Amino acid sequence: MAMAEKVIPTRKQQYQSWVAWLGLLPFFAFAIAFEIIPIIRLVRSSITGAQGEITLEPYVRVMTPWVVQAFKNSFRLSGLTAFLGMITGTLVAYAIIRTRNKVMRESVTALADVTTNFGGAPLAFAFIITLGSTGIITLVLKEFFGISLYPNFRIYSISGLTIAYLYFQIPLMVLIMIPSLLGLKREWQEAASNLGASNLEYWWRIALPILAPALIGGFILLFANSFGAYATAWTLTGPEINLVPIQIAALIRGEVQLDPAAADALASISLMLMAMCVAGYQLAIRRARRFQK
Amino acid sequence: MKNRGIMRGTMLGIFLFYMIIPLVATIIFSVSTRWDHTILPEGLTMEWWQAVTSRRAFGMTLKNSMIVAFWTVLFSVLLVTPTAYWAHMRVPKAKPWIELMTILPFGIPGVILALALIRFYSSVPLPIINTPAILVAACMVISLPFMYRPVNNALEAIDIRSLSEAGLSLGAGWGQILVYVIIPNIIPGIINGALLVFSTVFAEFTLSNLLLGSRFKTFPIYLVEFTRFDGRQASALAVISFTVAWLTSLALLRLVRGRTHLEEAVGAR
Repeated sequence: MAMAEKVIPTRKQQYQSWVAWLGLLPFFAFAIAFEIIPIIRLVRSSITGAQGEITLEPYVRVMTPWVVQAFKNSFRLSGLTAFLGMITGTLVAYAIIRTRNKVMRESVTALADVTTNFGGAPLAFAFIITLGSTGIITLVLKEFFGISLYPNFRIYSISGLTIAYLYFQIPLMVLIMIPSLLGLKREWQEAASNLGASNLEYWWRIALPILAPALIGGFILLFANSFGAYATAWTLTGPEINLVPIQIAALIRGEVQLDPAAADALASISLMLMAMCVAGYQLAIRRARRFQK
Repeated sequence: MKNRGIMRGTMLGIFLFYMIIPLVATIIFSVSTRWDHTILPEGLTMEWWQAVTSRRAFGMTLKNSMIVAFWTVLFSVLLVTPTAYWAHMRVPKAKPWIELMTILPFGIPGVILALALIRFYSSVPLPIINTPAILVAACMVISLPFMYRPVNNALEAIDIRSLSEAGLSLGAGWGQILVYVIIPNIIPGIINGALLVFSTVFAEFTLSNLLLGSRFKTFPIYLVEFTRFDGRQASALAVISFTVAWLTSLALLRLVRGRTHLEEAVGAR
């Protein structure tokens, strides 16, 4: 990377530099045609009225109580799985790096790496087999512990989705936290304890502030990860569950009366939220990397 | 101190249990005669595997997924590799823009990308709507980050300027340098990206379902249809999906020691 900046361009190269941009044309043409323009058109159409005037009316129209409930449900599901995923993932990551058994450490890390790739339809179905009304864990709990999960719990519900989403959220958090936890130097803990800090004080006043960017970045990534998730929810619960991606998909598939401007408004709100997540994640993770080397 | 060791062991034990049980249950379910009211399956059989794999739709959907994955990987490699090289070598100013284009897909959920593409391409005279071409294009968008990051990291790890200048001074053209000098040096990065793209696209349900649906059924669509009407055959299909994801992860861990960026784990939900 440094090499590129060191070489002083000759006059001929400077003259050619705008020609060199042409070499990037295919890439930018693709990105603009399939990424930028469709998204800009979508946002623009959400604020354009029938006569071409700028209006926020589609936003008002789309915010029916049913859609407001979809946002509440999506926020609750994403917030809960991101929070639980953050806490559990961090504890598991800590257990992994402190384990003296090398085989255990490497195999659990590899497992986390592989399972973050398991998602969508097959994962949802695996949870139906495990925790469905005749699932194996449901049967074991009933037989050996006398606990009847059903009818109070249903895997085909938001609480069921929480358990299924955690399956890909926790390993993702584990992978985020391992480098940050490895960045905590043993000398810092020793120095703190030499200065009279208790173990708790060390964690609260030294380790936590250092880990904070990674924790926040991880939370944001997990939140966005589940806010946009569609395949798992669709397979597990079908169209009955009221979540934002399910509502958008229903608008595309024409399951509810087609109202393009409303669909665009709904999508634009989600996009704004996702854009904030991506920006927040980039900021947090940049800070987190400072302590990782 | 000993207590902490036990705590850690318990923590890892619960984690392993939670991660492994659904997978093992799915595998056993797919070879069980009946397993819905007893703790252990009543018997073992390959019946469901035979039934599901002998259907014509099985081969067709598997082929369709492979076709989409193949073209997406091919076009992504062809689009991203020369671009990353050229930007690195001749237009460093363009790099932040390229990075922006490759970060944006993280913020675009599949349902929204599908909606945006349908809305735009049904209003222009380019006839790609409702054809597999739009699915390949959409899959390329979501795989831009997976492809660009590893290739760019590989480029930054070697001294491509010296290599290119050596090539130029020996009279080679840019194309020759790229094919004979640069690509052999960054091939691990390209393979890394290609594997990530492949596993993402193979498992992609949202885009294929919303963009094409029954017009061009992919493997995950076939799987979801089965979950609604025959659980045991669906479980065999789920095992196949897990195996594909597992093999690609294994190849990644083996070949290139894992992913270069965690965001690569986001996708296909």
